[in-house]
Amino acid sequence: MKKEDTVKLISAEGFEFVVDKEAAMVSQTIHNMLTSPGSFSERQHGEVTFPEISTTILEKICQYFYWHLQFASGKETEFPIEPELTLELMMAANYLHT
Amino acid sequence: MDMYIRVKRIKTTYFIRCKPSDKILDIKQYLEELIDQPVNNQRLILPGTGEVLDDSKTLADQKVENDAVVALTLRKDDNEFEEVNIVKPSDFYPSRDSDSANW
Repeated sequence: MKKEDTVKLISAEGFEFVVDKEAAMVSQTIHNMLTSPGSFSERQHGEVTFPEISTTILEKICQYFYWHLQFASGKETEFPIEPELTLELMMAANYLHT
Repeated sequence: MDMYIRVKRIKTTYFIRCKPSDKILDIKQYLEELIDQPVNNQRLILPGTGEVLDDSKTLADQKVENDAVVALTLRKDDNEFEEVNIVKPSDFYPSRDSDSANW
């Protein structure tokens, strides 16, 4: 795993999640940020800040990215979501096109 | 992809893809790429039990499973390792009680 192949996602509270680009690109929004032409600062520094997504939700989303990759490779497990996170998670997923 | 673990230190979480047969040393080598700290300066600890993970053993040997959280500590200037330090989002917002104590 090379540093260039990872991206740092930063939550509203400034917590950082370092994930594989392949995993983060499960999100269409992040995919667009990282691949669109031009010199987006996101692309240059490999960092994306989400001032509107709380740390708990962002971590859950990162777990979802990896679960998605595992599922795609044939590992059929359930993705657990705590009921109290559901609304906020859906709003974030909508924003991220995930 | 077999599994991943979440390696945490202070406010940062590294999602590391790995296999149950990976040795702890392998994980430290993945981390070295990301944090520019040689493997000798890294120590991985299970936050639940405080158990220090052994370089020569595999993740499966030490019951580190998919989605597990592992604490990373680094060697300090005085050659000792720092204490486990993982900040939780809830620590970040002081509770109402501690707020009112400051008034």
